[in-house]
This record gives sequence, structure tokens and C-alpha cells, in this order.
Amino acid sequence: MTEKEKSSNRGCVGCPSYGSFPVARRDFLAIGGAGLVSLAAARGSRIAPAEAAESQPAFPVTDIAPLADIAAGAEMNFYYPDADSPAVLLRLPSAAQQGIGPDGTIVAFSLLCTHKGCPVNYRADRTILICPCHWSTFDPSKKGSVVIGQASEPLPQIRLRVMEGVVQAFGVDGLIYGRHTNIL
Amino acid sequence: MTRVPLPPPTAERRQTVCQFCIVGCGYRVYKWPVGKDGGPAPGENALGIDFRQAQPPLGTWIAPSMHNVITERDGRRYNVAIIPDDECVVNRGLSSVRGGGLAQTLYAPDRPTKARLGAPLVSDGQKLRAMPWDAATDLSARVVKAVIDRWGPDAVGMKFFDHGGGGGGFENNWAIGRFFFSGVGTKNASIHNRPAYNSEVHAAGDAGVGALTNAYADAELADTILIVGANPYETQTNYYLAHMVPNLNGDSLSLKRQTFGAEPVDRGRMIIVDPRRTMSVATAEAAGGADRVLHLQIEPGADIALLNAIARVILDRRWHDIAFIERHTERQTFEAYQRSTLAIDRPIESVVSEAAQIAKIPEAQIYQAAEWIAAPKTKGYRRRSLIHYEKGLIWGLKNYENVASIVDLGLLTGNVGRPGTGISRLGGHQEGYVRPAYPGGRPALNVDEAVRRGEIKVYWVGGCNPVLTTLRAEAMEAAFLERGKPVHAALAATEGKPVGARVAAVVEALKQGGMMLLVQDIYLTATARHAHVVLPAAQWGETDLTSINGERRLRLYEKFMDPPGEALPDWRIIANVARRLRQLYLDDLNPKMANRFLDYDWRTNEDVFIHARYSFKGDNKDPMEGYAGVTYKLLRELGNNGIQTPTRLVNGVPVGTVRLHEDGRFGTPSGKARFIPAPLPWPGYASKVAKQRERYRFWVNNGRNNHVWQTLYHHQLVPFFQDRFPRPYLEMHPQDAAPLGIESGDLVELSNDMGKVEAMAYISDSVKPGHTFMLFGQPRGAVGDLVSDHVDPATTIPYYKGVWADIRRLRADPKLKETVSFLPQNIAE
Repeated sequence: MTEKEKSSNRGCVGCPSYGSFPVARRDFLAIGGAGLVSLAAARGSRIAPAEAAESQPAFPVTDIAPLADIAAGAEMNFYYPDADSPAVLLRLPSAAQQGIGPDGTIVAFSLLCTHKGCPVNYRADRTILICPCHWSTFDPSKKGSVVIGQASEPLPQIRLRVMEGVVQAFGVDGLIYGRHTNIL
Repeated sequence: MTRVPLPPPTAERRQTVCQFCIVGCGYRVYKWPVGKDGGPAPGENALGIDFRQAQPPLGTWIAPSMHNVITERDGRRYNVAIIPDDECVVNRGLSSVRGGGLAQTLYAPDRPTKARLGAPLVSDGQKLRAMPWDAATDLSARVVKAVIDRWGPDAVGMKFFDHGGGGGGFENNWAIGRFFFSGVGTKNASIHNRPAYNSEVHAAGDAGVGALTNAYADAELADTILIVGANPYETQTNYYLAHMVPNLNGDSLSLKRQTFGAEPVDRGRMIIVDPRRTMSVATAEAAGGADRVLHLQIEPGADIALLNAIARVILDRRWHDIAFIERHTERQTFEAYQRSTLAIDRPIESVVSEAAQIAKIPEAQIYQAAEWIAAPKTKGYRRRSLIHYEKGLIWGLKNYENVASIVDLGLLTGNVGRPGTGISRLGGHQEGYVRPAYPGGRPALNVDEAVRRGEIKVYWVGGCNPVLTTLRAEAMEAAFLERGKPVHAALAATEGKPVGARVAAVVEALKQGGMMLLVQDIYLTATARHAHVVLPAAQWGETDLTSINGERRLRLYEKFMDPPGEALPDWRIIANVARRLRQLYLDDLNPKMANRFLDYDWRTNEDVFIHARYSFKGDNKDPMEGYAGVTYKLLRELGNNGIQTPTRLVNGVPVGTVRLHEDGRFGTPSGKARFIPAPLPWPGYASKVAKQRERYRFWVNNGRNNHVWQTLYHHQLVPFFQDRFPRPYLEMHPQDAAPLGIESGDLVELSNDMGKVEAMAYISDSVKPGHTFMLFGQPRGAVGDLVSDHVDPATTIPYYKGVWADIRRLRADPKLKETVSFLPQNIAE
């Protein structure tokens, strides 16, 4: 562990070791998320922010996967809105708030815990997202609300839509951990 | 798109400590004018961080919840960011869910916190109307004087916070205590959460041990941490995350080796005594492995029997600390303790089996707990056990004997005054106790009863909300209504008349059984709605305050914004009334009474702090919180790490105390600790409680949780918290819920001989069948309405946890089911 990494661990003496903490895209495989999908090229369009109070860059539109490929219980990692922002798409067993797809069960979230930025894990049998650092837990069917834990913001929900049979990300509700604005 | 503005390098910076729980995490405050934001490059913002790229995990981030826009009295608008301090040794850069939302609690005229009280109010018989401060002060002082003169000082009732943190602190506690005890001289006083003016841990005081003995570092050094009746992941969060968890997962092993040299060390173990499988149990297992966590899931009221049985096993195994007991305890108390509490005339098997039956846990768990607490380590080293307890024990079956049982266990095993040990409350709120002695005796008078009996003529309630939190709360609210009516009528009839006529009319109303209610608070609480006069107070961040945390760490909580409207710090409100009373008594040619209200001419918060400090000089009665030599200047220099009380002067310089009793001296006349013997290993249920328990089906355990603080006075105004728990929840086991047709999100009614209350069902296996758990003190459903008026006769402390009720389904609430998460709150891996 480098000195810089050590000092960044100062806030978390109780956490697992962060020597090779996977956040950037190049490290993403290390997280071992099920069904990592290749990042399809964005279709070139940009979505203007709905509630933009001031002039800001627009969200990209990013293809995640064909709707037909998202099977029951699917869990797919992707990056949004940029390659430093890991996210997860889930197909939940029942309809979710802001879910898409024929039964409203498909949702996506930033993977970075809004407490201290560790990537959360999905526990499918309980349909809950759990942060391994300080155990904040989030409900993916309730807009990422904090079930219990120390995060003081819900997990940012990625806005999804289906275009020509493909599920696309086109925006984020909430601020992704570590940023002062979602589009850097 | 969500974004947070960044503070520019020129932003004002202030140090502060979270206003909420006992742990007292350090936070940094940045304030800058709206429109003058900093930029993302490191040189463009006050944090010196490169926000052009995403921050790494465990880095510094301003979450949206940590920012707000405020408006000062002069109309200027500022951004305020409040972020956890990574240089504070308490939290090491961690925020809790509560602390992460501190900025959301600030007064803002365009946010729900605009509900703050900004002007004094007086009843016109129908509603409360604004009144100038001078008139409110004068009216309050005259009524208090009339009551003292006619009925004597005990007819003035008071119920005030005595804590630190939000609203509290040494300054306010000193002013309030001095006014009511040295000034008015009333014995009808009570503390925010209970009906009397008493310690919650008299037994710990009598033992000479005190309430907060250890340093937080001891949790990193202990071999075993025992937690009784507390839930530290949720309610002492960063003490748990930054100090206990590193012990469980082995991160503190190098610190142990460094501290203890040749002594064998290992990852810590944890024993949690709690009727619920809480998130603390789940996270302890995730951190340390299930084999290093022992969860004793006991029945209500069984803790005394359990702790005494554990102690009996330790004694029989000869694992007790004989050297400590001989050197540091009063011998005859140890003998009495063995005879009565530990029942040494009975076979150990019968004591253990009785305790196991009362607690409904396997006997093997009692033996295992004894081993983890006291079996010697290899090479003959004594095990270091850190012993913590809180409301599950304090508000349990029999307050005095409950606390005695755990303090005695600590003394038996010599677990105090050494690194890695301690016998301490985990604590709820922060502390900051400095007051003249309470004029009454012990057990203290029960003020609730005095209110109901009509003995209190003017009741001054400050910074607490008995309509939600006291025992038998429905009856208390009924008394406020009934006894308040004639006073409302008197004020209505004399509106616009000179103050003399108004006071005369009020006194007539008091003669007819009326009671005048003065409420001093920051919001119009459920209690304040019954008030005749409301006095608006400043809160945390609006005035300088000082408090200590659970390891007695004293720090300055700096003012960084104006209070709303004309709100004033509590000490100033009290001082204004005191000065007015002095003048009224001087006008009466009564110098004796006038002099009781002398010396309230403090100009600054620090004046009050220093005045209080001198009152402690040489006073050993409450050494825990003495702070000789400490000034605001020193506290500014020490920042968020402050200094641990008590302090003593060495060559004129204040030196703190890391842990109490390291010198082997205890707070008794002999300097030796005392065992507090109980007549029996287990006292059984008091008759009033036993009756309720037999009559009603479910035990209604109750308390706080992770998200929300106390009565929600702030959190009901912050959507993040309000959306999570729009109603108080009732955890129910699925086996109990199914036959009653109850699902998560249904509204249910709890009822018993004391009253009725509604809650939102939250089906969970964290509770055992037959047990339930409800959030306490909530505005939309107060458990207090179900609590019987039984108190421990030795201490006047209620058995708040001892509630039994019947439960029925009222109806489904589709909105709750749609928007509120009912996923389990105790999953960590």
C-alpha cells in the first residue's frame, strides 16, 4: 500500500484492506460482478438535464444490453456516466419504483456507496445492496433508499429507457460518490 | 442535475462536533456567500482537493446532505458545508447517517426548518401569538415570583435537558441549574427523559465508579467487549465503526502488541446482550466472524439474573481479580455481594439454571460468557474486558439493581482503570453536566405525579417533549389540557391589559387548579402546543457551546450562523428572567430573595462557561466533568480532539484524563470502590408490571434506531429521514404477524391499560416471537402512551422497556407499502 493509499484509509481503520481498491474501469473485473457486459458505444446523443439550474454538460446515452438478454435475476455491471463510475443493472423479482421493462423490474444504480465510496455488493436472495466497508444497505426497489447504515443519501439511481429493444442509461438521480457534479 | 457547490479558499472555517449522539464526531464547517463558489482545481477550493476527478473510496466528499443554503438575520445568504473531520480521533473522517445530515437541520426560511420558533409567543386563549421579548420575560418572571411567594419554591416545576450536544452544553446547563436550584430552590425538578431529578446510574455512583470511565481507544485494546442493552452500530455509530470493529477484525492487533508487549493478544471478542438480533450483532459477526461474537438473546428483565449468574460462574472458577478486590474495594461490600447477589449458599448449578430459565437462553451461553469475560489468557495474564451498558439495562426491570449487577461484575473482574478495560455507559446524548446540587433528596420527587396532583403551579419545560416521551404520557397530556384551560382563559380575558392584571388573573386560575406551562424550545413541539408562553431558543451552530462525549472529550462547538428571528441561547433566556426576578424582588424590598438571582450579568457564552468551571473547583462530588483551567481559547487551539475531562492543573497547564481510576482511587470517602449487593440474584417483576405482562400478549420493547434522533424534532423536517420512517415502526416476528393478518406497511394499533398508539408494521425476525420493538418518542405514535407509571422506588427511574400490549391490524396503507423499504435492518453480508 502506498503512503497516499494509507492516508486515504485513515477514515476506516475497520475496513478491509484497500491496497488494490477497484473503482476505476480497468480494475472492474476484480470486483467479480456477475455478467459484466461490454460497454457498447454510446449512440452519440446527449440528454439535456431535466432540472438543470445552470449550464452543465448533458448526460450521455449509453447502451447497456438488449432487453431480451436481461434474464430473470440478471445482475450486469456497466459504467455510467463515464468510465470511472461503476454501476449495476438488476432485474428484480418484482416491480420496483422507477423500474423499466415489461414488468417494471429492471433498475440500475451507481455501485459507489454514498457513505464513503466503497462499491456495494448485491445479495440476490434478499434483493439488497450491501456496502462491505461500513454496512450501509440499500433497497433497489425503493429508489436506492438507505435501509439502514451510515450513508446519508440514497444510492444514485441510473435513469433507464428502452430504445429499439436496447436498454439505455440516460441520466442519474442523485449525486455519485466522490463528485461535486455527475459529469466531470 | 444534482451538484454541490464547492467552498472557495476564502470560505470561513469553524470547528464543531455533531449535535446528536454521545460519540461526538468531529466535523468541519465551511461557510461562503452564495454566488462565490470555489472551483474544482485543488487551488480553487477550501478543501484543496482535485474535484476534476472522482474522489477515491474513503476520500473527502461533500454529499448533497452535507450542504445547505442559509439566510442570516441581515438577509445575506450563505452556503454551508458540514463534513466529517478526518483529523478527529473520535470518528477519523467517518460520518454517521445522522451526522452526514447535519446541514439539513439548519434553519432556512425556504426549507421545512422554517418551522423554527423565531419569536416569543403567548396564548390568547385560542392560539399562540407573537410577543416582544421584554414582555415575555416580564410575564414569565412575574408568574414565577407570584408562585414562589404564594405557594413556595416547590410549586415551580421544571423539566429541562441536562445534556450536551444539540441545544445542551456546560453553558446552558449551568444557567438553568443555577436558576432553578440556587435561585428558585425547587425540589420539583426533572430531567428531559424521566420524571425526577436523579442519576440514571445511582448504583455506579454509589460504587465510586461513575458513568463514563474508559477511553474509546480501550475498545481497540480489549480482549472482550461486553455490550448490555445497547445497539452501538445504530446508536453509538462511530465509536463502534472506528474503534470496536478494528478490534473484531484484527486491524488493532499491532496497537495491542505495541501497548502490551509480551502479553498475549488476539482479535477481540464481543458479547452482546440484547433481546433483538440487531444490526450490531450482524455487523459484529461480519467483522469478526460468528465464532467470536456471542449474542445472548434474553427475555425482558432477565439481565440482572444473567449478569449475576455470569459473575457467580467467574467466582466459582476463581477467575475473579483477587488482587484488585483486596487493594481497591471495601471488603465488607464484597462479602455481602457474594452472600446475597451471588447466593454463594446455593449450588452454582441452581443459580445458573434459574438464570437460564428466566432469560430463556442455554446454560452453556452463561458459562461461555463468563469464560470470555474472565478466563485468564495464556501465561497467566488477566483478560481485559471492556464492559458497556445503556438503556436496555438502565431502563430495565429495576434500575438500581440492574446497574449494580454490571458494575459489580466489572469490579469482580478488575476491569476498570487499565488499558482495554472499563465499566461505562455507552451513552445516548452527549454530556455537559455542571449544576449546583439538586436541593431534594433521594429518591427524588416524581414531578409527573406532582403535576397530576395539582402541586405544580407553573411548569417550565425546556428542550424536551414529555407529551411524547414521559411514562403514562396520555395522562400527562390530559393534565396539561385540563390544568392549562383556566390559565388560557385568564390570558384571553386580560389580553391588552397591564401585566399586573394579567398576572393577577393567572394567579386566580392557578388557585382554581390551573397550571401555567412555559415551554422553551426550538420548535413548536407537541408539548409546546399546550403552552401559555413559548420562549424561542437558539440551537447548535447558532451559539458557542461546549460538551463532552462518551470518553469525556471536551470540545468547543463553534457558532457559525445566526439563530432565527429573535431566538436566544437558553442561558440568555434564563439570565434575562433571573435579572428581572432580581429587580422585582428589589422593588418588593426583599433583598434576601433578590440576592438569590444575583450574578446573571454574563456577556458571552464563555463568561458562563468560566463561571461554571469555578463552581467545580475543589468539588469532588462529580469529578467526571470538571474542567479546571480550560478556556475557549485553549479549546480552539485543541480543535476537534479537545481535552478529556476531568482536567487538573500541572504548573498552571490543564492536563486531561484518558481513563478514570488509573490511579486506583474511586469516588467514595474511603477511595475504595464498593460492591453494591442486591437482596437476591433476581428481583422479579414489580406488581404493576407483572399485571400488565400477564394481561397483554406482546412485549413492546422500544428505543432509538440508526436513522432518526429522539423525538424527530429535526428529522421530521428532513425528507431523507421522514421518507424512510414516515411513521414509527413496530418490528414483529412473522409467526406473530401472520395469524393477525399483519404485513409490513400495515397500520396496527397497540393498546393496554395505559393507552393506545398506532404504528407501521415492519415484519422482521430480529425480534423473537412474542417480542416486538417500536421506535420511541415519535410524534405520530408515542410509546410513552403505553408505559405504566411504575418506577424503581429506589431511584424514581421508570421501567420504560417494560411495556406489554395487545396488537391489532387497522388497515393497509398502500403508500407506505409502495414507498417505504421493509427489507431487513440486520443484514451485513
